[in-house]
Amino acid sequence: MTRSNRLAHGVLYLCGAALALYIIAPFLWTLSASLRLESEIVLRPPNWIPAQPTLSNYLYVFTGQVPQEYGERGLLRSSITQEALRLPQGLVNSLIVAVLVTLINLSFGALAAYTFARENFRGRSNAYTFILASRLLPPVAVAIPIYLIINQLNLLDTKTALVLLHSAFTLPFTIWVLTLYFQSLPREVEDAALVDGCTRFGVLRYIVTPLAAPGLAAVGAFAFLFSYSEFLFALFTTQTINAKTVPVLISETANNPDASYTLIAVGIVLSIIAPIIFAIFFRRFITTGLAASLGK
Amino acid sequence: MTGQSAASRLQPSRLRLGRRVPNLYAWATILPVLILVAAFTLYPFGFAASVSLRKYILTQPNSHPFVGLRNFSQVIGDELFATSATNTLIFTLASVPLVTLLGLGVALLLNHPLRGFGVLRALVLLPWAIPLVSAGIMWKLILHGQFGALSGLLFQFGMIKDYIPWLSDPSLAMLSVVFAHLWREFPLPAILFLAGLQNIPPELYDAAKVDGAGVWARFWSVTLPLLRAPLLIIVIYETMIGIAVFDMIYVLTGGGPGSATTLISWFAYTATFKFLNLGQGAALSFIIAIALAVLIILYLRVLPTEEEATS
Repeated sequence: MTRSNRLAHGVLYLCGAALALYIIAPFLWTLSASLRLESEIVLRPPNWIPAQPTLSNYLYVFTGQVPQEYGERGLLRSSITQEALRLPQGLVNSLIVAVLVTLINLSFGALAAYTFARENFRGRSNAYTFILASRLLPPVAVAIPIYLIINQLNLLDTKTALVLLHSAFTLPFTIWVLTLYFQSLPREVEDAALVDGCTRFGVLRYIVTPLAAPGLAAVGAFAFLFSYSEFLFALFTTQTINAKTVPVLISETANNPDASYTLIAVGIVLSIIAPIIFAIFFRRFITTGLAASLGK
Repeated sequence: MTGQSAASRLQPSRLRLGRRVPNLYAWATILPVLILVAAFTLYPFGFAASVSLRKYILTQPNSHPFVGLRNFSQVIGDELFATSATNTLIFTLASVPLVTLLGLGVALLLNHPLRGFGVLRALVLLPWAIPLVSAGIMWKLILHGQFGALSGLLFQFGMIKDYIPWLSDPSLAMLSVVFAHLWREFPLPAILFLAGLQNIPPELYDAAKVDGAGVWARFWSVTLPLLRAPLLIIVIYETMIGIAVFDMIYVLTGGGPGSATTLISWFAYTATFKFLNLGQGAALSFIIAIALAVLIILYLRVLPTEEEATS
């Protein structure tokens, strides 16, 4: 390695380290804040690593057992008590909604996309364009009427409403990516199976699905992450813990002026575990899925 | 579109062979999606159009008289409209270039096949993968005026005498929101640019080297022109995000202090959900939608197509 080469590598690694720090520093600070007692929060400058790391904030969220220090100082207000204690149920709600949305995308989305990719029928282009164009509407433009529709369907404050809404918002992208994906697969095997008497659904089920697994993984991951993170519609169609999702709950905690800094941090940590695991696990599919959506 | 349906009409053989079953199958498979999408986008859109032309205030539930374009003129005449439109312009002009440039820089860095950079490529996904609300609140804790980590860090190194209220100082709030937004948004452009970079055939660089082009010359004459497609998509997408930004404002500043971070979508939200004036909220939403449509068309016109770029 020449000297200038080594210098170049050094600069690159330095930039890489700066980037890594930029990305993870906010995560580390949140984690560190969630592991300390409220009394340690007020230190200036803060202890970057908690002097007495404690899981008592997490324990409180899951069991309702008030950390000793809060009780003594009367710091805990009723509002924050309820909000933070709802987080576990909120996590369950979020995961139920996100998993159902993912399954709907993988079933109805794949079914429709395969039809768009392979069947020729009257109205095909119009239907396809209609579905894709629906994504161009900014969500805020349809927010009010959607509230009224959900109200009319008697679905306010239900997980069903969120599943329907999130599916309607994710299916166009799913169908777009999967249609392109299915079209890129070799046609001959499918045609041979059709000639042999296999139905279109049978071809999709037994021949195409295994081949398209990476594409399905990508759109499934997108649908999951979208639904898990969606905030605006979850905010105004839900009212109680019956349907409130994690983003709604942690935003309430964070906007409560009485909320304890440490408990807010706990809420964030709990809210990001699932998507982080998901993103790391499906990284390859997400990256290639995004690259494919560049429209090749 | 019509060409295809006309073509299928010109093929009577399909009907004669009794192959109507595939059509039934086709419609059966797309109908659930069509119904869902129509119910939650097309119908609401039409509904919003109708509401925007009526006086529609939730506290007066029984009277929705037609008022023509009065909602639009009232909204545009509102002093918050000018403020929020200006704020949106400032926010977009600051954030779109920052997000795009940081994304490009990160992509160029990660494109080097160095050992250990695989981990970085995975890390880059994280700010994008977590809920926007979570990212926003993380930054709220960092920028907190009393216990925030950023002030803590500057204080530790003696760069400030007292903690800075990043989010409640009117002159700093917008800047703070832009930086929180930047952290959240740069991963997507980075990944798209990286994919674009990996599509560039290495021979092009070799050829440029032979021609005596230096690093900069290669970047300007090879890399950048070939990144036109992702660049176009990123700039359009980030502009749309900038105009529609909502979650971040909701958790970071609530449009404040005063109206310092009231962006246009936040204005639409408050008109609708705080003042329950659905007519004005819908009118504002339409103005936003039209602005977005105009911007997209402008971008598509201004930026040359790929054929033009390569010829």
